[in-house]
Amino acid sequence: MTGDAAAPRRAPAPVRGPRTRPRAPKLPRRARVGLAAAALLGGAILPLFLASGGGLIEDATLALAYVVMALGLNIIVGFAGLLDLGYVAFFAIGAYTMGYFGSLFHINVNGGEGIHVLVSGVAAELPGIHLNFLLIVVLAIIATTIAGMLIGLPTLRLRGDYIAIVTLAFGEIVGRIAINGDEITGFGTKLTNGRQGITPVDKIDLPFLDPFTALNLRPWYWVAFVMVLLVLFVNFRLRDSRLGRAWIALREDEVAAVSMGVPAVKTKLLAYGTGAAFGGISGAFLGSYLNTVNADQFQFSFSIFILAMVILGGLGSIWGVVVGAIALSFINNYLIPDVLNNVPARIGLDFDLTQLSFGIFGFLLVIMMVLRPEGLIPERRRQLELQEGIEDLAVDGDDVQPAVRP
Amino acid sequence: MSEATSNGPLLVASGVTKQFGGLTAVDDVSFAIPRNAIVSLIGPNGAGKTTFFNILTGLYKPTLGRVSFDGRDITGGRPDKIMALGVARTFQNIRLFGTMTALENVMVGQHTRMKAGLFGSILRLPRVRREERHVRDKAAELLSFVGLRPALHDQLATNLSYGDQRRVEIARALASDPKLLLLDEPTAGMNPQESGDLTRFMERLRDELGLSILLIEHDMKVVMGVSEHVTVLDHGEKISEGDALTVRTDPQVVEAYLGKQEAERQRTEDGVG
Amino acid sequence: MASASLTGARAAAPARVVRAFLDKYGLICLLLVMPVAFGIHDLRTEGDLSRLGNNLLDGLSNGSIWALVAIGYTLVYGIVELINFAHGDVFMIGSFTAAGFFGTIGLTAATGVPGLIAGLLLTLLVAMLASGSLNLMIERVAYRPLRGAPRLAPLVAAVGFSFILQNVGLLWRGGSQQGIVDLINSQKELVMIAGVSVTHGDTLAIAVTIPLVLAMTLFISRTRLGKAMRATAQDPDAARLMGINVDTTISATFLIGGMLAGAAGLTYALYQTTVWYFQGFTAGLIAFTAAVMGGIGNIRGAVLGGLIIGVIQQISDNRIGSQWTPAIVFAFLVLIMVFKPSGLLGEETREAG
Repeated sequence: MTGDAAAPRRAPAPVRGPRTRPRAPKLPRRARVGLAAAALLGGAILPLFLASGGGLIEDATLALAYVVMALGLNIIVGFAGLLDLGYVAFFAIGAYTMGYFGSLFHINVNGGEGIHVLVSGVAAELPGIHLNFLLIVVLAIIATTIAGMLIGLPTLRLRGDYIAIVTLAFGEIVGRIAINGDEITGFGTKLTNGRQGITPVDKIDLPFLDPFTALNLRPWYWVAFVMVLLVLFVNFRLRDSRLGRAWIALREDEVAAVSMGVPAVKTKLLAYGTGAAFGGISGAFLGSYLNTVNADQFQFSFSIFILAMVILGGLGSIWGVVVGAIALSFINNYLIPDVLNNVPARIGLDFDLTQLSFGIFGFLLVIMMVLRPEGLIPERRRQLELQEGIEDLAVDGDDVQPAVRP
Repeated sequence: MSEATSNGPLLVASGVTKQFGGLTAVDDVSFAIPRNAIVSLIGPNGAGKTTFFNILTGLYKPTLGRVSFDGRDITGGRPDKIMALGVARTFQNIRLFGTMTALENVMVGQHTRMKAGLFGSILRLPRVRREERHVRDKAAELLSFVGLRPALHDQLATNLSYGDQRRVEIARALASDPKLLLLDEPTAGMNPQESGDLTRFMERLRDELGLSILLIEHDMKVVMGVSEHVTVLDHGEKISEGDALTVRTDPQVVEAYLGKQEAERQRTEDGVG
Repeated sequence: MASASLTGARAAAPARVVRAFLDKYGLICLLLVMPVAFGIHDLRTEGDLSRLGNNLLDGLSNGSIWALVAIGYTLVYGIVELINFAHGDVFMIGSFTAAGFFGTIGLTAATGVPGLIAGLLLTLLVAMLASGSLNLMIERVAYRPLRGAPRLAPLVAAVGFSFILQNVGLLWRGGSQQGIVDLINSQKELVMIAGVSVTHGDTLAIAVTIPLVLAMTLFISRTRLGKAMRATAQDPDAARLMGINVDTTISATFLIGGMLAGAAGLTYALYQTTVWYFQGFTAGLIAFTAAVMGGIGNIRGAVLGGLIIGVIQQISDNRIGSQWTPAIVFAFLVLIMVFKPSGLLGEETREAG
């Protein structure tokens, strides 16, 4: 029995641009490995070429922290296909974990003496709770994983667009609690410091190393770089595993996936939990790096900023998301404020380009969706589909008519 | 109990009813599938066959009635759990995972037979590695068993021809080592030659793997040739059952398919001829 | 068969009755919690219900604005199954247009009543046209090319457009809340009924909403285009086969939804006497909540949902603190979407399986 090309068949609605485009050149495996190794090596030695306290290394470190978040969101949206518009919640929870356990925030704890676990330098002398950064990261992972699952739980039975709105609502609720948290008190402490923020926050303090300072940013960069490496490793391992296949199966066709034995609830919760944990790691890092945990950081627009990275790079494409995150964070933190900001003034317009940044991201989202929905560096699967797709075969139609009737 | 488990029918549905709002899609259907047998479910379009399938596989919860499989009550159970017990299915309109390769599709089918968890997968423990290799080999074997050329194993499902997609779907269903295979119009869109091949394939599954098969089918030639028992649904109700010959000559069945007038006309013609 | 249904009836244990009750009336009970609790509180402390009455009235007039925005959501969702995320921002642009147009035609607080009415009607028309055509344009540019794409693609595009419009608003009128001329003396009391003060603003909101909603309902049920809209919502493919121009129908839906948002924008500007670029984001989510609460796709439901959300908001503003109101509205949104996604007036639909 040979395939009948004329028979109607169901094309499983691929993400596909309206027009066909030239085939992407497919690099041989060795070249791709080499390219990745070169990129990683370049990333590792980059700080040596930058001034240790300059603006560029500052932006680069921020970019790496965003890469971690974007890779986390990519697990939820790209792999499992659950559109999460409230990812900022995990940034917030990670950052508050840092603020709670590594600052003066609980200033009266232990009779004003403070609690100190494995910290050295200035932090060891201060009141408040001060845990070692690595412990805080572990706590942040635990807190965000739980939060991710709790937020995920009510969305499990919902359709895609409803999931988006519910996660958005959760993100906003977390944001609202962050802003108004200074009104909520209990156990002799406020819930948050609201818009004033928790500041200063402890600097990262790693075993065998001196505590980090704000003057030399290279150690910060390398910590962020190691986080990226770990997260990349986890992403690749999960993508090519039983769990990764289950995520993609759910994304492609939930009914078929559960009928093939994929437990929808567990699989989706694992996606939410893993993705959220990355947000928590990055949030804890940023709390320390930015030296403040401030409610104004946790706005809806941040969720969209991270989502735009994932979409620009290519939903589900790990390297694509890395590139998307680096690109957008440089556009946001370097290109717009430092390079292009006076362009409007030069052409006689009266506004700051920084005011336009979110319009620019909005524009990017629209343009990407309309012109290149698979992203700059599409997921391997989508790429294969485009290269080898036999377009004229893909006749849409859900009902297959019986060939012979009784 | 164990006596019943090994000798009684593989699947028993009793008094199964499904209502959507005011519409009764399946009305009090009782039904059994013996072990190691091929049985068919037929009926005109909209008779409730696929709804009944969806109840058996757990996609719908029945409004009333019970379903038991292999001696266990599975009424309203979760689809993935029912699958794990040994009920696998294909879909009327093929539902492969389009951006996965044929091989990966079949690997997903083995999900319930695998153990790798989150941390095991991240660390890629030796146990996980072995399991992956085993699952991959088995998937390739199954694809060859259903007749997909090895060259196509790593093609994306969406790029396969229609007939090959049907094969991959069957391989994916077989991947979980089911005891019961539910096929929803597997010959749709096939020519008589291909349908004949599929009929022989189903017999092989029954005889070589010891499977039971429940078939929804419109092609009467396939149904009559392969099924030991046929059940006919119309407007959600069971209107007839028995062996192929009994059903084919049942006036109610003829009427359901052809309409009352046509049935009467045929009867008188038969009388004359 | 009789025996089977008997077994079924016997299976109706108390738990099942409770579940059925919650399924039917749970949402209504949930919605009544706040008004009833505060009503009892008022009766205890003040001896009458005038404070709650004022909350309700303010809530209803505020809610009638959300109702107009919610209709736009519900119409669009009903017909293309898209959460038009930019809809709230289309409403914001309507407000901005109206606020700008007051100055253009020289309306001030000193304008006499006939001139004011004529001017406001003209502004209403302009705001409706501006928002309507904007919505139409968005559909053309961002959503139409994505028809047939996975359903998350247009949603992402909609979020993108929402940001673009917010940025337009930011450049237009700056980043802070802006007071605008109080043309109708919004807070002035018109009449006092049983301790409830009816202000000019309340009157205006209700006077704009009722005719528009009635006109809308008639339009949908009576006109050719309205019928085409309903048919397309039911089944676009069948509608196309019946000779309905689906593209035109969808465009018309966006146009009408946008026009109602424009009318709401004008009313909001007059009622609140402030506008800002961020008003659309909140309004959009509130109105979306309203549409889901009423049962998405259902116009009466959207109006009902809008009014209810307005009341919840007002009670929360007045009793709990306005800084918590968004969180409370979002909590309602989550509860409704999770436990009763079909809403108050919606129907359970058979899912494709």
